[in-house]
Amino acid sequence: MKLLTHNLLSSHVRGVGPRGFPLRLQATEVRVIPVEFNPDFVARMIPKVEWAALLEAADHLRLAEVPKGPIQGYEQDETFLRKMHHVLLEVEVVEGTLQCPESGRVFPITRGIPNMLLNEEETET
Amino acid sequence: MSDVQEATNQLLHVNLHENQRDTHVTESVPRSESEHLRVTIGATVPTGFEQAAADEVREKLKSSCKISKDRGKIYFDISVESLAQVHLLRSVDNLFVVVQELKDYQFKETKEKVLKDFEELAGKLPWSDPLKVWKINTSFKKKKTKRKKLNQNLSKEKIDNGRDKREERDVKKELSNNSLDSHILDYYEKPAIKEEISTLVGDVLASCKNETEESLKEDTDPEVLKFRVTCNRAGEKHCFSSNEAARDFGGAVQDHFKWKADMTNFDVEVLLNIHDNEVIVGIALTEESLHRRNITHFGPTTLRSTLAYGMLRLCSPQPSDIIVDPMCGTGAIPIEGATEWSNCFHIAGDNNPLAVNRAANNISSLLTRSQIKEGKLSWGLPIDAIQWDICNLPLRTGSVDIIVTDMPFGKRMGSKKRNWNLYPACLWEMGRICKPGTGRAALLTQDKKCFTKALSGMEHVWRKVHTVWVNIGGLHAAVYLLNRTPLAFVHPSGQDKEELLSAKND
Repeated sequence: MKLLTHNLLSSHVRGVGPRGFPLRLQATEVRVIPVEFNPDFVARMIPKVEWAALLEAADHLRLAEVPKGPIQGYEQDETFLRKMHHVLLEVEVVEGTLQCPESGRVFPITRGIPNMLLNEEETET
Repeated sequence: MSDVQEATNQLLHVNLHENQRDTHVTESVPRSESEHLRVTIGATVPTGFEQAAADEVREKLKSSCKISKDRGKIYFDISVESLAQVHLLRSVDNLFVVVQELKDYQFKETKEKVLKDFEELAGKLPWSDPLKVWKINTSFKKKKTKRKKLNQNLSKEKIDNGRDKREERDVKKELSNNSLDSHILDYYEKPAIKEEISTLVGDVLASCKNETEESLKEDTDPEVLKFRVTCNRAGEKHCFSSNEAARDFGGAVQDHFKWKADMTNFDVEVLLNIHDNEVIVGIALTEESLHRRNITHFGPTTLRSTLAYGMLRLCSPQPSDIIVDPMCGTGAIPIEGATEWSNCFHIAGDNNPLAVNRAANNISSLLTRSQIKEGKLSWGLPIDAIQWDICNLPLRTGSVDIIVTDMPFGKRMGSKKRNWNLYPACLWEMGRICKPGTGRAALLTQDKKCFTKALSGMEHVWRKVHTVWVNIGGLHAAVYLLNRTPLAFVHPSGQDKEELLSAKND
């Protein structure tokens, strides 16, 4: 699971609503897999990123050199864009967990795939 | 993993990557042959997506297309140097080079006379340029087959890996613990389906073996080619059958070229396409691949990649768009997306753990192919897989730009009764996660009645802009292109949502 995906995921436990974001990320196995750098893609992604969530996740993975926010003229700044590219797309959580900040419910990540299925009780009224 | 599952994996792998890009064909054609040689190429495309295919041809080959009245076919002119690029088109199923197009063909009144005309036609056609193209094309295919075999062997290794076996067993244990509806439990496990697939697999493996044997022994006599004639006939007023036409035309072709007729192991496939008063003679440049055709018919609901491409294209993906398939099955759509629109981010999700695992396997197989092709070690793609429930998507509201999915038809997977509840719930959740104003969705379904009803209750969220009628293995289906209205989604309390959904079902 990439950090860009984590940035989109939110807990959907009944009653939690928007308070289910962001999920608290813990990882026991992380891999770095290079992905082709596309500056245009990264530049357009920047405004869409939820920064607080991204920084929190990057922190839990103990990633270094993570920009704290968009800098002036980031669209042309290749160094900045490459760092963001790395954080968003190249860091893969292979084994770990995602925890709902509101309900405490834990979702496992196995072989890079988060399992977000809920039990019957968690989805019923 | 059982043999059947292993072979199915291989097939799905091959199916999904059947038309994968193969660039860097370095073999150069003697300039005297190829210089200034322009030909007309015909391509078969999924019916309903002719325009999308024409757009792709214009984009990639800078060539304009003629869309045939014979549904599912387009024609365009190219210079022979572009032939390799033609094979890279994602929206076409099969290619052929046109020998001659006979518009307004005058069929004589009796069968004997018509067939005699076909016989005489064979000798009068301008075969030489198309045959040159066929020859050039055959050299491409030899390279492609070798590479395909290499990748099949690689993926086989991955499957044989003990780890994968353990994974499948663990997943199965998980399944029995979860209270999953038996309807959505692994389709592959149903004995009837397993049998169908094993027969199919047997045929394919046998034909693969033949292919290997064939390529091992060099042409004993390179001059005597083997050929067959395939005739497709459509029209009310014909007094002959396609078999008769193929037979007699084929006889004349044989006399003309002194080729050997062979229906299964042929070098040249001559196409005789008859649509009302239009007759087109062509030479096939691709094989009507048995496994791809049968996978869409027999196999679990794997979508063919040309259809996946057409659906994605319909949504006009923009750079950095987030594209989600919330019922991805083995991941055909997101994988096609990640390959062709690598400047977008793709998410493949499904509730079935076996489906998600296969999707993830298919994704990592892609990684392996990239490795070989471009010499890049372990490069990743902008795609992720998640296990989730379509009715309760764990995605932020308004975070997704495009949704493309193949909705359960209720025939092979799920049931029509379930669709009455499923479709409104799907449209609701998809409406929630999709970005208001700019978001869009392309949804494929055969259960058009149920879909239309479900959509009618959601006008404040979804607006239908276009419908494409398609044919999926004989089933008449539709792809609905929807635009997300600018209305922002307001989180209702749990009760409101239940009431709203049940009201829609009445």
